[in-house]
Amino acid sequence: MKDGQFITMGIESSCDETAIAIVADGRKVRSNIISSQIAVHKVFGGVVPEIASRHHLNNINSVYQKALDEAGVTMEDVDLIGVTCGPGLVGALLIGLAHAKAVAFATGKPLVGVHHIQGHISSNYVAFEDLEPPFMALVVSGGHTCIVDVKDYNSFEVLGQTRDDAVGEAFDKVARVLGLGYPGGPLIDKLAKEGNPHAIEFPRVFLEKDSLDFSFSGIKTGVLNYLNGQRQKGLSVCEADVAASFQQAVMDVIVAKTIRAAKTRRQKRIVVAGGVAANSRLREMLGDACQKEGIRMYCPPPILCTDNGVMIACAAYYKYQAGMTSDFTLDAFPNLPLEA
Amino acid sequence: MKLLAIETTGARASVALIDEAGLCKVQSSDETMNHLQHLIPMIQQLLTKCELSINDVTGILVSEGPGSFTGIRIGMATAKGLAQALNVPILGVPTLRAFAYHMEQEEVIACPVFDARRNQVYAGAYGWERSQDGSDCGQAVQLVKDGAYELTDFLQKLETAVSTREKSAQAEAKLLFFGDGLDRYEDAIRGWAQEAADRGIEVEFAPKQRRYQEALSVAKLGRRLFLEGKQTPLGQMEPVYLRQAEAQRKLEEKMGKTV
Repeated sequence: MKDGQFITMGIESSCDETAIAIVADGRKVRSNIISSQIAVHKVFGGVVPEIASRHHLNNINSVYQKALDEAGVTMEDVDLIGVTCGPGLVGALLIGLAHAKAVAFATGKPLVGVHHIQGHISSNYVAFEDLEPPFMALVVSGGHTCIVDVKDYNSFEVLGQTRDDAVGEAFDKVARVLGLGYPGGPLIDKLAKEGNPHAIEFPRVFLEKDSLDFSFSGIKTGVLNYLNGQRQKGLSVCEADVAASFQQAVMDVIVAKTIRAAKTRRQKRIVVAGGVAANSRLREMLGDACQKEGIRMYCPPPILCTDNGVMIACAAYYKYQAGMTSDFTLDAFPNLPLEA
Repeated sequence: MKLLAIETTGARASVALIDEAGLCKVQSSDETMNHLQHLIPMIQQLLTKCELSINDVTGILVSEGPGSFTGIRIGMATAKGLAQALNVPILGVPTLRAFAYHMEQEEVIACPVFDARRNQVYAGAYGWERSQDGSDCGQAVQLVKDGAYELTDFLQKLETAVSTREKSAQAEAKLLFFGDGLDRYEDAIRGWAQEAADRGIEVEFAPKQRRYQEALSVAKLGRRLFLEGKQTPLGQMEPVYLRQAEAQRKLEEKMGKTV
């Protein structure tokens, strides 16, 4: 406890961000330290698991110290330690987990393993202090694409998810073939602003009627085919048009399915989370669609969209409130399902 | 002084507690296991056995590699987390050198050989030197530098080192091989040993139950270094992988740099 508030430490290392945060009473950010490895992986065009693991190990202790210092607390003030236990890169996850378990063991503080997606959803509780479940959630990131019926703080039903690439992955791949660099999301978002979103009609993959699942591998191929076709015909390519049209095709499907999910479940609120939630076109299109349907959209600020420790601390807090804790055998689960 | 030693660089993990007198208690498992899952519970069992709490630990020793990349990281992340939260010093202990403490015999040269894949081994060789004044049992002396070698290359270096050492009137010439590299290369080493026997080199293989990394040896070597005043600042604590990440190697190859 500090200043009469319950203090939670949140630790996240599932991909390429080493992040630790201190959160008071589950929702108030006292510190949010994120050590990003984007610069390290850029040269490889994507996250290299072995290199990510090495950096997590080297970074985590200074991130931990900074998180405590910036929050103005010591480990004695901390009441709970939350840590991402999956899904994610196993070698990356285990650094956060080993650190969390060691600190919990050394200090006698309770430990809670947190699902990464539950974390992303929870970032909205931090951004919007009045938000409470139930609501519909759209989680879109480099590793995840899913529509989740959030029934309570710890009760989820996944209504749809990607069957192949995550949406962020599709952005990365298309950015690569366009020669834009890495990570693809922000680069395509930026370039698309200068292009015509209806210049090229890439396929919208809706899968079976009523399905809320996604498939993005086809559109990636669609972009490749288009580029090859233009090249063979000796025609020039307007990268901005390709970026805008690709983004439009992806968002058309995501927005349509998310709205359909909310309407089917009679939810009047849609919460967006994950790195791709920072995409300006998604915010715009989903915002418009929600307005038309009388649905309220929640979208956290970019700093809470990216992987961070705040969201893990918040999720851990609500798990702990519900009596959930983990013991020291807590393991890394690269394919952990959300509905457990 | 109560030092906690952590050894997770191989298939079997173990932990040990050692005091200034060198008295040591060990907790280990014969099973290959998930180190992340079992390391803290193992430390708990060890402390219970010693009737101590984690707060009685005054320093952390961790086997720093080479070995399994993942295994090294689990041990080191745990060790660093413990040292930081307990606010006690930490020391990285060279994994290969620790094998000299498996036997602590003058007549034996310890030759740990780990399977490093890609047709290489992580290996080194250590002799044992009795202290001049007999104040303690002696210490390990490096004969072949720790490195990633092709097996034949390592054996050649080993033979050179041994013959040089014999000339300088050291008694021992028995090589004792350790490590998971034997699972793969025992036959190859035996083949070499048959020829080397003509040149007066005696080769033995550690029995299965003493063949692999042990926290006991990490504790013994670590205690010694610790008493000499050695510590690793937390911010400088890094595994000794002895090998770059594959993607890094390929990238540098592509860019025409030397590896």
